[in-house]
Order: sequence, then structure tokens, then C-alpha cells
Amino acid sequence: MAAKQGAAATTYSPKPLVRTRPPIFKDSDLDWTRPDGRGFHQCRPALLQTGAVSSASGSAYAEFGNTKVIVSVFGPRESKKAMSYSDVGRLNCDVTYTTFASTGTDHKEFSSMLHKALEGVIMMESFPKTTVDVFALVLESGGSDLPVVISCASLALADAGIMMYDLITAVSVSCIGKSLMIDPVTEEEGCEDGSFTMTCMPSRYEITQLTITGEWTTPNINEAMQLCLDACSKLGEIMRDCLKQAASASEELT
Amino acid sequence: MVGLSISEQHFVKGGIAQDLRTDGRKRLTYRPIYVETGVIPQANGSARVRIGGTDVIASVKAEIGRPSSLQPDKGKVAVFIDCSPTAEPTFGGRGGEELSSELALALQRCLLGGKSGAGAGINLSLLVIKEGKVCWDLYIDGLVISSDGNLLDALGAAIKAALANTAIPKVNVSTEVADNEQPEIDISDEEYQQFDTSGVPVIVTLTKVGTHYIADATAEEESQMSSAVSISVNRSGHICGLTKRGGSGLDPSVILDMISVAKHVSETLMNKLDSEISAAEACEDES
Repeated sequence: MAAKQGAAATTYSPKPLVRTRPPIFKDSDLDWTRPDGRGFHQCRPALLQTGAVSSASGSAYAEFGNTKVIVSVFGPRESKKAMSYSDVGRLNCDVTYTTFASTGTDHKEFSSMLHKALEGVIMMESFPKTTVDVFALVLESGGSDLPVVISCASLALADAGIMMYDLITAVSVSCIGKSLMIDPVTEEEGCEDGSFTMTCMPSRYEITQLTITGEWTTPNINEAMQLCLDACSKLGEIMRDCLKQAASASEELT
Repeated sequence: MVGLSISEQHFVKGGIAQDLRTDGRKRLTYRPIYVETGVIPQANGSARVRIGGTDVIASVKAEIGRPSSLQPDKGKVAVFIDCSPTAEPTFGGRGGEELSSELALALQRCLLGGKSGAGAGINLSLLVIKEGKVCWDLYIDGLVISSDGNLLDALGAAIKAALANTAIPKVNVSTEVADNEQPEIDISDEEYQQFDTSGVPVIVTLTKVGTHYIADATAEEESQMSSAVSISVNRSGHICGLTKRGGSGLDPSVILDMISVAKHVSETLMNKLDSEISAAEACEDES
């Protein structure tokens, strides 16, 4: 299991939008840049690796800029709590932060949001009577934590061989003033006017989870959705490459 | 839980496909909404909203508190929802807890806007009495008395009505005080101020059953849903929050379509709710 090494650091920025109308604001009107010097529609490089934890059925490590996440998947195994018979499997998700991951804020809602993002994509009927546990640990919080956790969890599930309809990928977009920024870092998240987080299945072209906060106009939502969809499909490719590399590496050993 | 036989399931789904639901409504019609305000005398503001068989109470309590050091110019708002097992046996234990926290999170998202406060239904800077020292803490509590589907919309409406009903006492702050001391405050018994609730959004939940989506689903219809999208829209037609429930995926174009439909539905709902709230307020003043 430890031999599964598939490291890929690539970026998944969406392609620049083709505008039908001339932009109202010229680039020179934007008198500020992002804290890490990226373009507004540029994502952080994504480093993904499977097989991070040898004792788990499947695991993955993701590093997007400063956001570092490790997810391990256990099971399918016997449901621990004495629960009634169920002909579909159960999914149990838990997202925890290390004590040094961030300052202050705890994210109790992340566990249920991860569960909701994953439940639609896993073929629950393929493991009746049993439970799959997904444990995510945020080693360092550097912004866009939940999308990174979701993408990493789907990679870990694939590594564990749990049947899924598609890999799922998640990307978030922040709206500050008039501009949209993809893959925001912590500083940007702290002063955003609105946030848009989307989880989708890139091959099936379906959105499994979507949360929007703050005030959004319809054109902004359209633009954010296009950005996310494009970034999601590119991230999906990166994740697929990572899994292929891991598989070919383990084949060579045998 | 609603147990429907196969033929009942077909009946519900078939009705939705033909734009005639089991209770005679069209796909995007709401059940009649009844609003009652001032139902809890101990709270600063309260309201009870009934939408068909769904019955919820929201109360607003204001307490003096300290603003957080990160945002000294803002008051604090917390939303709690209680799904009592008296409404439905499945609300007992963990099932109720999960649903309560999910509803509270969705409402918080819809009411409080982004981190910078854009799109917030409640203007948090109006809750500050003295910057960095004293502010109002608003506790919004929702209670589900009876559940027949569409809890989120009902709770959103109840909170809007409760906020419109809220009266916060005027506070006088002694001006001369050293920087490190808490100022003395004097809460007036006679003078009250009201909230401006025109910015509070309404929540429209569109539930997808089969290939169509419906507004204001009953519990029977919700048991047949594949996914539901709750969209909160404010008076200027901007989206203030969106949450999706249900595991199955949706095509991006369907979501954009739902957003535009929700905007349209929200206008009618907002007007209806506003007239109901003012009628309830007038009724309360008379008695």
C-alpha cells in the first residue's frame, strides 16, 4: 500500500471566459491583487497523492497551496452501533481540524456537508449492512478547506475501491466587490461579500452540492457556475491522472 | 415518516407531472399562509406561521452583550431551531438534532449574508450600542410544532414576521468612561425602536419530484423528492443564499432555471407575507 506513490502538482484553472459584451471594468480599475499574487481566475497548484495512510482501506493527501488535508477511508466494515438491518450501506463522515490548523473558528457543519456531498455519488447498495467511514483531517487551513476535503475524500474513496458513479470534485468562488475569485485563501474568505461552493460530477455533468451565501446577482451566479464547472472538470482530470499513476506504480512492483 | 403505497406514489408523481397536485394546487402555488404575531409575551418579538399542516413559532430575544474583538462594529445574531418530537416521532434523538442543525445552518446562511455582511437580512451594525463595548445579541429561536413539509420556508417566514414584530428598548450609554472599562448603560422602559425588515429575504424551496419541481411541498410529496433547492431572495431580487438537499445530482442548467423560477415565486410570496404580517400587527394592536 505504501508503494502507491502518485504525486502530481498541476493547476486546474478554468479557461478564460469568452465575453460576449465588453467588460464594464477595465483591468486597470482593479487596483489590488490577490495575497498570493494569482490571477482572479487562477487556481492554486494542486498536489494529490494516494496511499498516505497504510492501515486504511484507502487514503489520500491533498495540498492546495497552504491547505493541507489528509483523508482516510475505512471499510466497508461491520456497523459498530447496533443498528437495524439496512439493505443499503451507511456512510459516516467526520471532518476534524488539528489544534494548530487554524485560529479560532471551528467548523462543526463540515462533517454533515461532506456527508451530503458524498452520499449522492457512492453506490450505497453495493455494500449492504456495512458502514464506510470517511475521516478527514485538516492539517493546515489555508482557505477553501471544504472543497479540498471533498475532492480529497473522493480520491480516497476511489483508492479504497468503493464503487462510485463518478469522481467528485469541489471548487469555491469568492465574490469581493465586483470581482469573482476562484479558490480563495483564508484572507480572502475573511473579507468576502459572498461565497459560492459547488461540488460536481465532472463526467456526468451534474451538480451534487451547491451552497451560496451573501448577495449575488444572476449574472454573477452564471459566471461563478461556469468558472466552477470548468475548474471542476480540470481537477477531475488531475485526480484521474493521480489514480492512474498510482495504479501503474503498483503494477510495476508486482 | 410518510409511508406511501406504490399506487399512492404514482398518484403523487403523476399529479405533479400533470400540474395538478393531490390538494388541487398547481406546481408553483403555495398553500395559504397564516401569520400571528406577538404570541410569546416574554420575547422581544415573536410570530407563529402556519402553511397548511406545517406550524412553526419563531421568537426573537435581545440581550446586552459584548461585540467580538474581530468585529467591534457589529452585533451578534444566533439562530437556533428546535424540532420537537411532539411534531413527529422521527424528530426524537439524533434525527431531530441533525435536522435542527441543518435548518439552523441554512437559515443562518440566508439571514446573515457573507463574511463582510453583504446581503445580510439583518443589518448587524444597527445592533451596536457602543463600538467595541456594548451591543445587542439577538437570539432567534424557531420551534417546529407540526410538520407537513416545507419547514425551511415556514421558518424563514416566521423569522421575518418575528423580526418585524421585534421592539428593542432604547439604551442610553454614559459618555465619559475610561477605555478599559465597560460603560454604564441605562435601558429605557418606555422608548422602543423597531427593526427595518424590508431587507430580510424570503426562502423559496423548490423540490424536484420526477422531472418537475414544485414549490411548497407537503410531507407526502417530500417523501418522493430526489433533491430540493432552497433559495433565499430579497426584495431587490438578489439571491442571498442557496442550499441544496438530497443526494442526487442536478444539471447546471436546471439549477439556473430553478433560480429564475424562485425569483418569480418569491415576489408573490414576499407581497403575500408582507400583507399578512401587517394585518397580524394591526390585529395585535387592536386587542
